[in-house]
Amino acid sequence: MRKDNFFGLSAAVAVAAMMAAAGPALAQQQSPTLDELVTSGALPPVAERLPVNPMVVEGDSVGKYGGTWRMGLNGGGDNGLIVKTVAYDSLIRFDHEWKTAVPNLAESWEVNADATEFTFKLREGVKWSDGTPFTTADLAFAVEMYQDPDYAAGSWIDNKNNPVTLEVIDDYNFIFKFGKPNGMFIETLAGVDGIHITSLQKAYCSQFHPTYNENAAAEAEAAGFSSWALYLQDRCAWGWETIRYANPDLPSLNAWVIETPLTANAQRVTWTRNPYYWKTDVEGNQLPYIDNLDMRVSQGGVEELTLAALNGEIDFQERHIATTTNKPLFFDGQEAGDYHLGEVIPSASNTLVLQLNLNHLDPVKRELYQNKDFRIGISHAIDRQEIIDVVFTGQGEPFQVAPRPESTFYDEELAKQYTEFDPDLAAQHFEAAGLTERNGDGIYLASDGNPVKITVDVISALRPEWIDMLEIMQLQLAAAGVEIELNNIDRTLFYEKRPAGEFDAQVWAGDGGIEALQEPRYYFPFSDESVWAYRWAQWFNGTRPEIAEEPVDWAKEQMDLYNQVRAASTPEARAELFNQILAITKEQFPVIGVSLMPNSYSIIRNNLKNAPESMFNAWLFPTPASMDPTVWYFE
Amino acid sequence: MVGFIIQRFIAMLLTLVAVSIVAFAIIQLPPGDYLTSYIAALSATGDQVDPRVIENLRIQYGLGEPFYVQYFKWISGIVQGNFGHSFEWKRPVWELIWGRLGYSILLEGLAVIVMWFVALPIGIYAAVRKYSLGDYLATIGGFIGLAVPNFFFALILMYLAFTWFGTTLGGLFSPEFENARWSLPRVWDFLTHAWAPILVLSMAGTAELIRILRANLLDELKKPYVTTARAKGLPEWKVVLKYPVRLALNPLVSTIGWLLPALVSGSVIVSVVMNLPTAGPMLLRSLTTQDMYLAGAIILLLSVLTVIGTLISDILLALIDPRIRYGSK
Repeated sequence: MRKDNFFGLSAAVAVAAMMAAAGPALAQQQSPTLDELVTSGALPPVAERLPVNPMVVEGDSVGKYGGTWRMGLNGGGDNGLIVKTVAYDSLIRFDHEWKTAVPNLAESWEVNADATEFTFKLREGVKWSDGTPFTTADLAFAVEMYQDPDYAAGSWIDNKNNPVTLEVIDDYNFIFKFGKPNGMFIETLAGVDGIHITSLQKAYCSQFHPTYNENAAAEAEAAGFSSWALYLQDRCAWGWETIRYANPDLPSLNAWVIETPLTANAQRVTWTRNPYYWKTDVEGNQLPYIDNLDMRVSQGGVEELTLAALNGEIDFQERHIATTTNKPLFFDGQEAGDYHLGEVIPSASNTLVLQLNLNHLDPVKRELYQNKDFRIGISHAIDRQEIIDVVFTGQGEPFQVAPRPESTFYDEELAKQYTEFDPDLAAQHFEAAGLTERNGDGIYLASDGNPVKITVDVISALRPEWIDMLEIMQLQLAAAGVEIELNNIDRTLFYEKRPAGEFDAQVWAGDGGIEALQEPRYYFPFSDESVWAYRWAQWFNGTRPEIAEEPVDWAKEQMDLYNQVRAASTPEARAELFNQILAITKEQFPVIGVSLMPNSYSIIRNNLKNAPESMFNAWLFPTPASMDPTVWYFE
Repeated sequence: MVGFIIQRFIAMLLTLVAVSIVAFAIIQLPPGDYLTSYIAALSATGDQVDPRVIENLRIQYGLGEPFYVQYFKWISGIVQGNFGHSFEWKRPVWELIWGRLGYSILLEGLAVIVMWFVALPIGIYAAVRKYSLGDYLATIGGFIGLAVPNFFFALILMYLAFTWFGTTLGGLFSPEFENARWSLPRVWDFLTHAWAPILVLSMAGTAELIRILRANLLDELKKPYVTTARAKGLPEWKVVLKYPVRLALNPLVSTIGWLLPALVSGSVIVSVVMNLPTAGPMLLRSLTTQDMYLAGAIILLLSVLTVIGTLISDILLALIDPRIRYGSK
C-alpha cells in the first residue's frame, strides 16, 4: 500500500493543532431517535451535549441517521470483536493509513526531548454516556485503580519496568511521566492499549472501592462477592475485559452503549447510540449516523454466521467469517446477498512461523537449533511454492518472517533469503551444521547418535491450514533428512510448555509484519511470544527471572538497540536503530517462514456507505473501529 | 417395591459422591488452570500480562490450593446450593446454567418424543412385515440415519434451507422473540425454529430404536406364547401389541438412564453448528477455558440426570417386567 513513514509521530503534534483549530461552523443536528427525549426534557439539547470543540470526522460523503449494523460474535467470550468495533476511543488514535497518531479525546499534546514527559490537553466539555463530564479526575482514578494491587490488570499503566505517574494540572491538562524514556509511548497510546486509561469513570467506579466508599466491602458481600475487589472488577472491568460488556450501567465514551449485555446466555448483544458522543461530521451533525448495533452470538461455530453473511444478514464484518476457504463462496454469493467484498491487508507477515527452540534444555538439540546452518538447511528443504499452490490456491509468495512489502521496514533480502527450494544447498548446510551420518530411513543423526526429529507443537483449532502446511513440510523435510512430528495440542498446553523449555518447536503466524517496531517478537527475543528464545526474552524483560538466561552476544546487541529505540524521541532515529536490529536478524536468521500472508477480505453490504474498501487488519490497529464506523451510514 | 427404591436411592447418593470427585479431578487434569488459558487468550490478542498480576489473581480465585481443599470447598458449597462462581463470566454458576439446561431438556425431550412416536410404529411394522417393501425402506432409512453424523446432517439441512428457501436455520427464536416472555406467538416462533434441530437430534435415535425394536420383536414373535395366543383366536393386532411388544420394549426402557444425560451432552456439536443456546456449547467452552466450577457443575448435573434416569428405568422395568421385580427380592 505505501512504503513511506508509518509512524511519523513528530508530525502528529502539528496535525493535532490543525485539527483542533477546525471546529464546526454549521448548525448541529442529531439523530431523530433523540428528538423526543430532548423535547420531553429527558435529554439536554445537542449543543449542550457536545463538547466546546467536538472532534470532526470526515467521511467520503455526509450521511444520514438511522439503521442497525448487523454482525456476529463467535461464542460468548468474543470481546475481541467488540473492542475492535466499538471500544477504540482513547486519548489519541491512528489515522486511517496507520501512519501517525491524531487527536481524539485529547486535542493536542507535547513530548519532551528525552521522551519521559507527555503533556496532554483534553477536549473541553466531553461527557460520559451518562452525561457527567470527562476530566483529568477520571484519568487519575484509572491510573490509581490500575496500580492498585487488588485490582490486578496488566497494562502499560502498571508496567513494572517503567510505570507511569500522572500529574494533573487542571481539569483538562495533565502530564504522563515515566521514570525511563518511553519513546514509543505515543504509538502505545494510539493503539488498542490506549483504551485502558479511558475505560473507568470515577463517579461510577469509585463507589465500589473502599477508599471512596467505606461500605464497599459490605456492599460487595451483599451483592454476592467475596471481596470488594471482585465486585469492583465485575462492575468496572477494565480495558477490554469480557465482563465489561455485561454491565449496561457502566458509563462509556464510545459511540454506542450496551443495550442487551454480553452474558454467558446472551443470544444477541445489542447496542444503541450514545446521546453524548463527542464527535460530529463536517457539517456539525452529531455522530454516529447508525443508531444501533446488533451482534448475534453464535455458540462457537461460525457456520450459521457464514450462511447469514451469504444471506445478506451481515452488514459489515471481517472477523471469523473471512476465511481463505470461504472466499470463493462469498465471492459467488455477492449478487444474491447484495454485498461486495472489501480488501483487508493483514498485519501478519507470514502464514506459518517455524520457531525452533534455541533455548532447549537438551544440550544436543540446543546446539543444533542454535546452528544457523541447520536452520538455513531446513529453509532450503521446503518447497514453498508447492505449499502455496496446494494450501492457499496460489495466493501469496515465498517469504521469510520479515516486515511486509507495505511496511517502511520492508527489506527484500531479509524477506527472500533462503526461500528457494534447493535440496543440494540444503544438504550442504546440513553438512556444515555437522550432520553427516544418516540412518536407514535417510534421516540425519545428531551428535548424540539419535535421528534428528523435531516435534512441532501446533494448535490446529486456531488455523486449520497449519496442519495442511505442516503435513506437506513433513514430507519435504523427510526427503531432505529431517524428521518432523506434528503435535496438535490445546492452547493451554501450548502456553504451559514454554517456560518448561523442553519443547522442540512451535508454530504461529507472522505477527509484526507491519507493526514491526511495536511487535518485534520474531526479530529479537522481545516477549513471551518470542517462543524461539523464550529464556532470553525473560532476561530482556525480567518477567520470569527464575528461568531467564543470558542471551548470546548478537541478541544482547539487539536488546541494547531496542532500549535505544525506546529512548529515542524522533521517528527517524527510531527507524534507524530498528533497521540495525533487523540487519542482525537478517544475519542470524532465527526463525523460518513459509509464505506471505495473503490479503483477506471484508463483507460490505451494498447499501452501507463510507465503509472502507481497503483497510489494514491488526489488533494494535483495531479494525474496523480505527476506520471510523461512526461516519458509516445506510443509504 | 418401596425397599427396592430406597436401596436404589442410597446407591444413587454414593454414586454421586464418587462421580463428583472424579468429575472435579478430571477437570483439573489438563495442565494449567483457568488463568493459563486466560493469559493465552490475552497473549493472542496482543496483550502482555505481568506474572505477578496472575499470581494475585490465582490467590484471589483460590487456584493455588491443593486439589482436596478446592474440592472440599466446592462440594460443601454445592450441599448448600452454591455451585460456585464461573471464572470467565464472574457470575454464580447456577444463574448461568439453569436457562441453558432448560432449553436442553426442552429440545431433547421433544426430540425423544418425536423419536418414539416415529420409531415405535415403524419398528413394529418392520418386524411384523419382515422382508416386505416397507421393512426394506425402514431398514435403508435406518442405516442412513445411523451412518450420517448429526452435525453433518445439520449442516446439510442448513445448506438446503439456505439454497432452496433463502433462510438461515439456526437459533431458537426470531430476534424479536429472543428476550420476550413466553406467549402463544412465542411458542409458535419457537416451533418454527425448533423443528430443524428436533429433526436432526431425533434422526439417529429413531434409526437406532427401529433396529432394536425390530430385532427384539422378531425374537419374541417366534416364541410359543405368541403361537398359543394366536391359536386361541386373539385378533392379530392384540396378539402383537399385548405381549411381544411389551417385552420387546424392555431394552428400550432400560436405557432411559442414558437418555437423560444424552439430553445435554449428545447435542453439543449440533448445538454449536445450529447455534442453539443449550448447555452443550457452554460445557464445551468451559472445558476449553478450564472454567472449572462451571464445567464441574454441568458434569455433576449430567451425572445426577444419569442416576435419576437409571432409577426411573429400574422402576419402569419392574413395572413392565415381573421377572425383574421378583429378582430384586
